[in-house]
Amino acid sequence: MSMYIPSYFEFVNSAKLLAGDYALENITEEMSLLGSSRPFLLSDKGLEKVGSVKTLLDIFSKSGLKVSGVFTDIPLDSSILKVNEIASLYRKANADGIIALGGGSVIDTAKGLRMLISQGGKDILKYAGAEVLPRGMNVPFTVIPTTSGTGSEATGVAVIKDEEKEVKLEFISSYLLPDVAVLDTRMLESMPPRITAITGLDALTHAIEAYSSMQRNPVSQAYAIAAMRLIIEYLPIAIKEPHNKKARLAMANAAYIAGASFSNSMVGIVHAIGHSVGAVSGVPHGEAMSILLVPSMKYNVNEAREEYSDILLYIAGDVYASTPNENRAEKAIEVLSAFVDQIRTMAPVRKTLSEAGVKKEDFQKIANRAINDGALIVNPRAADRDDVLRILSEAF
Amino acid sequence: MIKTVKKAISNIVLLVLYRALRVLSQHDSRVRNEFEALPEGFTVALRINPSEGEIRMAKVNGRLKRIGKRDDYDVLITFKGIDAAFKVLTGQMGVARAYAEHRFTLKGDIGVTMGLVRMIDIAEAYLFPRIMTKRILRSVPYKEKSTLTIYRKVFIGV
Repeated sequence: MSMYIPSYFEFVNSAKLLAGDYALENITEEMSLLGSSRPFLLSDKGLEKVGSVKTLLDIFSKSGLKVSGVFTDIPLDSSILKVNEIASLYRKANADGIIALGGGSVIDTAKGLRMLISQGGKDILKYAGAEVLPRGMNVPFTVIPTTSGTGSEATGVAVIKDEEKEVKLEFISSYLLPDVAVLDTRMLESMPPRITAITGLDALTHAIEAYSSMQRNPVSQAYAIAAMRLIIEYLPIAIKEPHNKKARLAMANAAYIAGASFSNSMVGIVHAIGHSVGAVSGVPHGEAMSILLVPSMKYNVNEAREEYSDILLYIAGDVYASTPNENRAEKAIEVLSAFVDQIRTMAPVRKTLSEAGVKKEDFQKIANRAINDGALIVNPRAADRDDVLRILSEAF
Repeated sequence: MIKTVKKAISNIVLLVLYRALRVLSQHDSRVRNEFEALPEGFTVALRINPSEGEIRMAKVNGRLKRIGKRDDYDVLITFKGIDAAFKVLTGQMGVARAYAEHRFTLKGDIGVTMGLVRMIDIAEAYLFPRIMTKRILRSVPYKEKSTLTIYRKVFIGV
């Protein structure tokens, strides 16, 4: 096995990572160094209800950080209207930085807010696309994820809905990366087993797709390998023992690392179809990943044979050693399939699209969306509508 | 190869690509379907930085037409430099590989651009010999019409 060296690649992971004990207490110092003494806190109603927002504010208060405002009314899909609404509160509060506490929706909304403020309040929709967002003004930005899956704290990607045109626009830019990402188990322990399971499988999918995509490079692959190893070892423990700090922190690290990996080498067909299954049939993202991962890997196997063979080494070294080279890619899929099944025995994660509520009559709609998903462009194997329909049928 | 030659060839290919897309949007069912899905008035520009070339197109009355310079386009694809643009435009590098290597920036809706990429892939299958497209495309689209027919319509207009 030799590592793939592309003729050219780029890699950026500029966020400073604070991971582990008392990480939250160090935010005050970090924000101060970045030039913020009155940050605005974004979170969601659920986290407010379970007390995470209060816990965080208490920690801030003890470490001398006073937030200028708190906003928790964040919808599942971040939208331009919501970003504009928060921006006006941000300005009214005379805030000078942003702290996001939450999952993907909160973090994407915070990225949108940061984009808007840093561009001087101008229309951000014109920055939709890839690599067209200029740096803009300094707006110190810290992200504290409360799930270990999306890896959004380490990605230069945001999806924001344009209500007027009824489209979700994707923004890809290294200037969307936060300045600081904070992984602290106190914000993660309340995750129930099902959420731990599906977000963990989302992170695993990020690592696998990033490792095998057309945009892979030695740095993103090194990150992906680390993420896979952590997830295989610690996801079952994090589900079984929700208060096991080591396992929780390992999974938070894994999600961050997998996020940094796919931010630099993209994801692939599992995400292209998964986004569409989520949009059309409302299947939670991580669950869609867990259902589609194996059928999609089978679809890609001939084009990603070498990468899948490598993956076997990182997730099951003993099996790799005892498997002939020509069978390792298929064996990797088998091992991953067994791993996902093992997770299903530990938490309620549905096994098929039909169990997850997808209707066969929606397949065309899902396929039409999937082929227009940007994640497909660097999938190792090209896919058209019929290919997507075949994968959907297998996962049904 | 000297830069001026690359620039001259790239600009000729941009024009050929536009003409191929216009022809295929009428004569190839897959390109026609993609094109019909675009809204009337949709604008797209392919640009090579810095000021090395540009082609601008729009859907006008259901047909693909060239248009003059505008302040804004629905989709603007900007190659960061002439060298990578030359490789893509002469069939040495596919659009997906160029994207993977950050050879261009993309302003606009990525979802809509996926359709444009499929249209360009099909155009490349007609314009370049299979020995080249096999190397640069993950899957070479089949040809609904003969290459000769499309070449005749692109270059002679009949």
